[in-house]
Amino acid sequence: MKGRAIILGLALGTAPAWAQDAGNGKALFHEKCAMCHDANGMGTGLLARRMDPKIAELEKRTDLTPDFIAAAVRTGIGNMPNISRGEVSDAQLAAISAYLSKGKNQ
Amino acid sequence: MDPVFPPGASAATFDRALKAFGGAIGADNVFTTDQDRDTYSDKFAVNEAGHHPYGGVAPSSVEEVQAIVRIAAENRVPIWPISRGKNLGYGYAAPELSGSIVLDMSRMKKIEVDVENGTALLEPGVGFYDLYDYLQAHNIPLWLSVPGNSWGSVIGNALDRGLGYTPYGENTSKLCGLEVVLPDGDIIRTGMGAMAGSPTWNLYRYGFGPSWDQLFVQSNFGIVTKANIWLMSAPEQVKGMDIEMDRMEDLAPLIDTLGALRREGVLQQSPTIGNWLRAANILTTRQEWVKDGGPLTDSVIAAIRKTFNLGWWGVSVRLYGREAITNATYPILEQAINAIRPMSIKPAVWRTGDPIPPTQGGWMGVPMTFPLQNANWFGGRGGHIGFSPILPQSGKLALEQFLRAYARYREFGMDPQTSFAFGERHLINVNAVLLNKDDPAFMKRVDPFLRALIKDARAHGYGEYRTHLDYMDTVADTYDFNNHALRRLNEKVKNALDPAGILAPGKSGIWPTAYAKERRA
Repeated sequence: MKGRAIILGLALGTAPAWAQDAGNGKALFHEKCAMCHDANGMGTGLLARRMDPKIAELEKRTDLTPDFIAAAVRTGIGNMPNISRGEVSDAQLAAISAYLSKGKNQ
Repeated sequence: MDPVFPPGASAATFDRALKAFGGAIGADNVFTTDQDRDTYSDKFAVNEAGHHPYGGVAPSSVEEVQAIVRIAAENRVPIWPISRGKNLGYGYAAPELSGSIVLDMSRMKKIEVDVENGTALLEPGVGFYDLYDYLQAHNIPLWLSVPGNSWGSVIGNALDRGLGYTPYGENTSKLCGLEVVLPDGDIIRTGMGAMAGSPTWNLYRYGFGPSWDQLFVQSNFGIVTKANIWLMSAPEQVKGMDIEMDRMEDLAPLIDTLGALRREGVLQQSPTIGNWLRAANILTTRQEWVKDGGPLTDSVIAAIRKTFNLGWWGVSVRLYGREAITNATYPILEQAINAIRPMSIKPAVWRTGDPIPPTQGGWMGVPMTFPLQNANWFGGRGGHIGFSPILPQSGKLALEQFLRAYARYREFGMDPQTSFAFGERHLINVNAVLLNKDDPAFMKRVDPFLRALIKDARAHGYGEYRTHLDYMDTVADTYDFNNHALRRLNEKVKNALDPAGILAPGKSGIWPTAYAKERRA
C-alpha cells in the first residue's frame, strides 16, 4: 500500500495541472454532478425522455467528448443551468470531462 | 452577457476593486468574462433584461470574505452574497441590482458535526448532498430535512426560510448561532457564540440580550459565513401513508384534519399537500396530453389523473420515532383520514436498516433533485417562478384562496402547480408557476399574472414568505402597516450598518440610501 502511494505521488508530480485533478474526476463527478446525473437525478430523468433510458446516466455514456461536456457545463443545455467557475473550476471541469469521456478515448 | 455597471459606478472604480479582489483571494477566483456573467444569471428569468451580475468572486475562507467586503466598501462596489446560488424560482444566483458582483461562497465547504448533540456547524458552500454524504461516510445517525431541490446549500436554504418535509422541516427554526461578516468587514457570532470559546453556541439559540439570528435571514445586514443547524436523530421507524383526495373541494377537510393533528402534536412532520399537477409534471410533459398549447380542460386533467392514479390533491404523511410510539399513533391518523373519505390511502413503513426507496427519500432526509423535472413540463426551455403567500391553517380560507388563484391561472392561460405546506400554525401556499421560455407570448403573460396574484392575496391580508427578485419591492410594499413602518426600520438599520450600501442592495425590498432611487414602484 505504501509503495502504491509513492508511485501515485510521483505521477501527480509530473502531470500538467489539469491532469493532477483528472485522477479525481470520478470523485469530482460525484460531488459536483451526480445530484442530477445519478440514477434518480433530474438530469437523468430528463435525458431518459430524449434517448435510450439505459444510457441516460452520464457515467454510462460512451459518446461524450471533453469539448461537449465543457460547453454543456458552461453554457447550459436544455433544462440544465450553466455552472459557474466558482462552483466548478476549469481544472475540476477538465478532470470531470476526462473521466466522463473515458469511453470515447479507450 | 455584456458588462453592466451599477448606478454611479465607473469602469475605473471596478477595475481598481477587481484588482484588489484578485490581490486578496487570487486572480483565478475573480470571474468577469461574458460567460461568467451568464453563469451567475437567473436561469428561469422572466425578465431577461434585469438582475445582470457584473461578475463573481469566490473566496475560500471567512478571512477572504472580510477582505472582499472591505474592498467593496472602500470602492463602493455592490456585492451580492450567495451560498451556492441554487435559489431556483427566486432568482438563482443573480443579484437584485444589476452590476453587482456575486460573492460566491461555493468553495467554503467546512463541516463540523457534534454527533452527541445532533448539530452541524456548516459553511455556506455545504450542499445537502455534501452533508448527507458526510453523515453517511462517518456513519452518523442524524437526518437532514431536505427541500425538493436539494442541489442548494443547507445554510442558504435556512437563510431563505426554505422547507423540508420531516419534523425538522422548518429549516430556519433549526438555526442556532451564526457567524456573520458585517458590511464594514467586522465579524460577529450570535447567540452563545458571542462568548469566545463557549461550548453552548450550537445548543441555545438566544444568548444574552437581543437575539440577532433572524435579522440575518432574508436580509442584507451581514454575510453569514458559518451557522449551526440542528439535525434530527435518525428515528427507529417512519410510518405513515400517502393520501389521495378525489375532488378539488376536498382540500378544505384535508387541511382541517391535518392541521388539527399538527396542532395537537399527533403529527410532528411538516406535510405538504400538492395538487395533481405537482405530481404529474415530474412524470410527463404537457404535449403528451394537449396539442398546440391548448387549455388543460377538466377532461384532460381527469385523463392525466387516471393514468397516474392521482387525486386532485395528494399528501404524504409520516410519523417518526420509536416503533412502539409510531405504531400506537398510526391508527389515530388512519381514523382521522378515513373520516374525510379519501380516494386512496397507501400505507408506508420504514424501519432502521431498511433501504430507502428513492421516491421516498424526501420524507427521510435523502437529498433529491428529481422534482426539478417540472421545469420540463412544456417540453423545451422551462422553469418556474414562485408565488407563496402565508395563509391561516383553515380549510375554508385556503380553498377560497386557491379558487381565486385558480381563476387567475385560467384567465392568464397558466397551468396550476400549487401546494400547501404546513407549519405549526400556518400554511405556506407555494405556487411554482411553470414557465415556457420557448413561447414569447406566454412569457409576456407571466408578470401581469404574478402581479395579479400578489394584489389579490394582499386584498385578503395575505403576504408572501419569499419571492423572486422581480417582486421583492412589490411584496415589501404589501407589508404596509403604519406607512411601511417595518421597511422604514429595516432601512434605518441598513444605513447604520452599511452606510456605503454595498451589501445586497434591494434584497427583500431593503434599499440603502445610496441606491434608494432603484426601488421599483
